[in-house]
Amino acid sequence: MTGKNNASEVNWDDYLKAYYEKPSSFKSWSGYDVKEIYTPEDSPDEKYEEKIADAGEYPFTRGIHANMFRGRLWTKREVVGIGSPADTHERLQYLVEQGGSGLNTIADVTYEMGLDADHPWAVNEVGLTGVNITSIKDMETLTKDIPLDKVSWSLITASTAASVTMAQYIAVAEDAGYQPAALRGSVQNDPIHFRYCGFRPASPLDLSIKLGSDVMEYCTRNLPKWYYTTVNMYDLREQGITAPQEVAFGFGIAMCYIDELIRRGLNIDEFAPRFTFYVSCHMDIFEEVAKIRAARRMWAKLMKEKYGAKDPRSMHFRFAVHTAGCSLIPQQPLNNIVRVAYEGLTAVLAGVQSLHCCSYDEPMCLPSEKAHLQALRTQQILAYETGVTNVADPLGGSYYVESLTDKMEEEVLKVMKRVEDVGGMEEAIRTEWLDHELESEAVERQKELDDGSKLVVGLNIFKEEEEKETPMGVQRVSPQSAKQQIEEVKELKRTRDMSKVRDAIKRIRDEAGEGKNTIPPMMEASRAFATTGEMLGTIRQVFGYSYDPMEIIESPFD
Amino acid sequence: MIKGKKKKIKALVTKVGLDGHDRGAKVVASMLKEAGMEVIYLGMYQMPENIVKAALDEDVDVIGLSYLSGEHLIFTPLIVEEMKKNGLDNVLLVAGGTFPAEDIPIMEEMGIDKVFRAGSLTESFVEYIRDNVKE
Repeated sequence: MTGKNNASEVNWDDYLKAYYEKPSSFKSWSGYDVKEIYTPEDSPDEKYEEKIADAGEYPFTRGIHANMFRGRLWTKREVVGIGSPADTHERLQYLVEQGGSGLNTIADVTYEMGLDADHPWAVNEVGLTGVNITSIKDMETLTKDIPLDKVSWSLITASTAASVTMAQYIAVAEDAGYQPAALRGSVQNDPIHFRYCGFRPASPLDLSIKLGSDVMEYCTRNLPKWYYTTVNMYDLREQGITAPQEVAFGFGIAMCYIDELIRRGLNIDEFAPRFTFYVSCHMDIFEEVAKIRAARRMWAKLMKEKYGAKDPRSMHFRFAVHTAGCSLIPQQPLNNIVRVAYEGLTAVLAGVQSLHCCSYDEPMCLPSEKAHLQALRTQQILAYETGVTNVADPLGGSYYVESLTDKMEEEVLKVMKRVEDVGGMEEAIRTEWLDHELESEAVERQKELDDGSKLVVGLNIFKEEEEKETPMGVQRVSPQSAKQQIEEVKELKRTRDMSKVRDAIKRIRDEAGEGKNTIPPMMEASRAFATTGEMLGTIRQVFGYSYDPMEIIESPFD
Repeated sequence: MIKGKKKKIKALVTKVGLDGHDRGAKVVASMLKEAGMEVIYLGMYQMPENIVKAALDEDVDVIGLSYLSGEHLIFTPLIVEEMKKNGLDNVLLVAGGTFPAEDIPIMEEMGIDKVFRAGSLTESFVEYIRDNVKE
C-alpha cells in the first residue's frame, strides 16, 4: 500500500488544481498548432474523388484495399531475435503457437555490421540484440521444419547484409525443395538508412545502393511474391525527427533505389508493386493517422506523376508499423503496455498491413517470453475485441483528420523541397546535411522534455520512486549460446573444403567487378559455406573499401 | 588553479563495441556542452583501451558511457579494469542507456559511480556530475 490512510495528509490544494486543470499545450507532437474545433470550412469536400476517394481508389488516401481488414486482418508480426539461431527458432515457434501470423526475425549487431561470429570485435556481442547468421548452416537452423512456401517471413535480419541474407535464405529454400517463386515474405534491405543506425562502416553509400538494388532486381525477376525492400522510416523517426520529416526522408531514400532500378532497365510497373515501407506510430494518435494517410496519397501521386506508373498496385503505399520504441520508458515500465496499445490502435486506424507491437520491456532488455506474448495479445485484443476492423479508414471524413492530413502533406512537401535545395537525397546524405537534421531534432526533443513542453508520465510528470524489479522478469542472452555460436563458426571454417570456398569467392569478386548482380554468386558461395563476412568483405574490396568494416582483419583470400 | 575559481569540467562521452544507438550519447554530449562543460565526443566503436587512453590524453574529469544493446555487464568490468590499470581513480564514471532495474546495483558494484536510465532529464545528470567530479 502506498496510499495514505489519513485524508488530512492529502494536499487538497493540489487536488483542487488537478480538478480545474487544463491541457498545457495545444500543439501536435511534431509541434503544429491545432484549433479548438474543425468545421466543414477546414476540409471542404468538393475535391473528394480527386484528393481523398474511397479506399482502394486512387490516390488511396483512405487505404490500399476497398474492403481493408474485411479482406484480411493485418499480419501480427512480432520481431524475434535472440542469441543463437536455435534460440530464435524456439521463440518464433512459440509465437506462432500463440496466434502470431507472420514470422519476423532480426539480426544481432555483428551480422548487421557484416562480421562473422568469430570476428575479434564480435566476440562480446554475438546474439545480444538479435540472431547471428554467419553461414548457411545458421539459416538452416533458423528455418528448420518451417514450411517456407506457407509462411510469410520478414527478414529484418539485415539491411547492410540483406544481399547475403537473401542469398542464404533462397539457397536454403531451394535445397529444401521449395521453388523461389513460391517464397513469400519481405526483407528489410534498406542499406542506405542503416548508416543512421550505427552501421556506417558497413554502409558506404555507393555500396548500399548497389547491394540494395541487387536484391530488388533479383527478387523482381525471380521471387514474384517477395517484398524486396522495406524502406525504414521508422529507424529515422527513432532518431527524434518529426512526423513530416519521417515521411520526407523515407521517400527521399526510396527514390534513390527506384532511380537505380530504372537505370538498370526495369520498368516501374515491373517492380513497384513489391515496394514497402516501415513506419513509426508515435503517441499523437491523430497526427500519426494523418501522416500515414498523407503518405499514401503522396506516394500514389509520386509513382503516377513522377515515375509514370500505370498499374495501381505500383501506386500503393504498403507499410508495416513498429510502435515507437523511443516513446517507452524504463521508469514506470508497465505503463508502456498502455502506450503500445494506443500506438497499435493508431496503426490499425491508419490501415496498416503488418504490425509489430513493442513489448513493454523494450527500454530495459530484449523481450522476455511473457512480454513478447503480452505484446502479441495487445494486437489480438485490437483485432478481435475493439471493432476497429469493421470499417475502412474510420477516421476519414473527420474535419480534423482531413485537415491534418492536408497539413501533413504540406509539411512533408516543405521538407522534400529543402532536400531538393541541398541537391537531392544522395547529396543530403553525402554532405551530412541529413546527420545535422537528425542531431538537432534529437536535441530539441530532449529540451522539450527538460522544459516540460512535452509531457511524459513517469519522466517529467507524475514521477515516483522507481521500481527495483522488472515486472515480468528480465530476458538474458545466454553466454553459452554465444560461445557455442562462435565455436561452431570456427569449426566450420576449419572443416569446409577451402578450394570450393576460394572458387566461389573468386566468382563473387569477378562478377561484382563486372557490375553483375551479386545474388547468384553469393547463393553459390553460401552453399560452399563461405560466410557473411567473407562474401561482403570481398564485395567491399571490389568497391575499393577495406575487407573488414572495422579494419581489424585481412581477407584470407588475398 | 586559482582558488575559488571553478575549473571547467571536462567530459568524455563514448560508446563501447558495436552498438549503433548513438542518439542518446550525442544528445548528452550536446547538453553537457550547453551546461558549460568541455566535451570530448569519442562516439561509436570504441574499445576499453581506446576510451581509457583518450581519457588519459585529454585529462578528463568524467567518462560517460552509453549502452543500449545489453552489453553493459560485459564491457563495464573491462573498462573499470583498464581505468584501474592506468590509475584513473579520480575520474568519475557514469553510464546511461537501457538497462533492467536489477542491473543498476550490479553496475554500481562493478565500479560505475552513477547510472542514468533512458529518459533522464538533463538537470539530473548535469547536477550529478557537477556535484561529484573528483578533486
